[in-house]
Amino acid sequence: MRPRLSPLARTTSGAGMAVWFAVAMFPFLWMILISFRKPVDAFATPPKLFAPFTFEHFHHVWVEDAFWQFAINTTIVTGATVAVSLTIGCLAGYALARYEGSLGFWLLIAALVFRAMPHVVLLTAYRPAFFDLGIWSRYETLIMVLVAINQPFTIWMMRAFFVGIPRDMDEAAMVDGCSRWGAFRRVIVPVMWPGIVTAGLFSFLLAYNDFIISSQLMNGDMTTMTAALGNYMGQKQSVTRLMHGIAGAVSVTIPIIILVYAFQKHIVAGLTAGATKG
Amino acid sequence: MKRKSFLCFVAPSVVSMLLLIAMPLAGVVYLALHQSYVKTELVELTTEVPLFGGLKRQVTRVVPQPVLDEDGRAIRVWKFVGGDNIVHAAEVEGLDEILSGAREVTSLRGFISELHREITNVDFWSALEFTLLYTFGTTPFVLLIGLGLALGVNRASERLRGTMVFVSILPMIVTPVVSSLAVYWLFLDGAVIASLIEALGFGRFYFLADQLTIRTLIIAYGIWFAAPFAFIILYAGLQTVPQDPLEAAMIDGANAWQRLRYVIIPHLAPLIAVITVIHVMDAYRVFEPILVFGASVFANSVQYLTYYTLSYEDNANKAAAYAILTVVGVVILLIPVLVHTYRDHRGRR
Repeated sequence: MRPRLSPLARTTSGAGMAVWFAVAMFPFLWMILISFRKPVDAFATPPKLFAPFTFEHFHHVWVEDAFWQFAINTTIVTGATVAVSLTIGCLAGYALARYEGSLGFWLLIAALVFRAMPHVVLLTAYRPAFFDLGIWSRYETLIMVLVAINQPFTIWMMRAFFVGIPRDMDEAAMVDGCSRWGAFRRVIVPVMWPGIVTAGLFSFLLAYNDFIISSQLMNGDMTTMTAALGNYMGQKQSVTRLMHGIAGAVSVTIPIIILVYAFQKHIVAGLTAGATKG
Repeated sequence: MKRKSFLCFVAPSVVSMLLLIAMPLAGVVYLALHQSYVKTELVELTTEVPLFGGLKRQVTRVVPQPVLDEDGRAIRVWKFVGGDNIVHAAEVEGLDEILSGAREVTSLRGFISELHREITNVDFWSALEFTLLYTFGTTPFVLLIGLGLALGVNRASERLRGTMVFVSILPMIVTPVVSSLAVYWLFLDGAVIASLIEALGFGRFYFLADQLTIRTLIIAYGIWFAAPFAFIILYAGLQTVPQDPLEAAMIDGANAWQRLRYVIIPHLAPLIAVITVIHVMDAYRVFEPILVFGASVFANSVQYLTYYTLSYEDNANKAAAYAILTVVGVVILLIPVLVHTYRDHRGRR
């Protein structure tokens, strides 16, 4: 039964929703629109809805500013981060869901505090330490850091998913002669795929969206795409440079939009599991 | 599950967190308690200075030089200074002066605004001021918009819901640097919003030249960025609202507002608490809009202040002191949550 609203309430809610959708999309739509324009048309008064099309900013950013190199770096870093953090997060999440002692509780509390740490606090310590160890600006370093930063969120979410899987399943497998590890690998992981996909998506977003740590830990050819956007920021810069920045930002956005569109159901599921059961 | 297999399963995850989160935190404490500098010594340096006609003259000067170890690297000295860095970063002395300073008190309001003005002249306190303003200024709007959207999307037809969810969560999932830039580019001088206002005949607007507009913009950005998160959680929560009390309320003649107020919101209350906690945690770390809007003069945040000290001033000890103060803030914000979770845990056993 769907309760009816008064016409007034319906109109207000409809209008409010329309305004929100417009506001949610507009900055991105406009950014994509002007990235294909000459600077004159992009910043015209009054603003133009239609203008000649040009690909030159993208060409400059990808070819001359070596965005292709940064894209490769991003692929390596995010790919490895997702793989590693899912593997170890999955193990920990499963154990947290099945273990009854209070050690598990304290681990989750510690993870909650770690989750709240501003990343720049960690960065303050990484800088001198990594310089001394000589592991500055390397894929492995950034991957391990992102994995660790990812862990608190991942284990909370994984635990929430595993709690939803009945204990009978692994106990039955163990009665049939599986070890704890065998039960986990043969019985639990196969039914966990939806949860793993969701957690993977969030690990991806965290690694891909990170700016502070990537921009400080990597330099030169090792920069990631998101961190490379820092090169185009600043108050006093030419309009051409600004247009290159816009093209770069659009290049960073497109993969996310495609991926999230493909997996949107999992996002809803993941946030719900993480929040309601946690 | 046995304790031993539990430890085996969590080991990799725990080791990664200990190594790269817990140890750095300890490192930050160490950095904050020490002052480091390159050890120098005065060396007599003799150089030949060419004079005219091929003549040379030997000049001997005493210059400070870094002391090198066997590998030829400069030796850094770490001096324990206790709480000095932190006291310095929080500018306790300046604060003391402000609080005890003599001033003409004409009215309570004048006194408070004067005090406020002087305190916010201090780096850390002004950053903290805007961080808290941002955190608590965005929270109510995030919850309200999130709830409104969740109710609206929940009423829409099945066919439209997917698209609505996708569009609504865009601000949350797109890289924060990019979404800050996208908003920033809308408000540049001569960009679409300003030129639209001008074309409509309202005159010229410079959004990025005034403290009030910049602060409003950043807070609006924060609401826009975080509302989707509240929306998604509340939307999922709405799917679990039990139908019986709703129907009973309708039969009793409750209108839409009363059903929302007395049935739906009480059901969603735990989720609203969760959203508030997570949002406060995330808002306290606000960084990207401050960086992108280049607004640190008008609106700073504690995380940006630390970042700036670290990467532009290159002063790890001072940055560590700011970091410690930031962590203290996080912990204070988290205490109610931790206490609640602990009681919950004790109660369940």
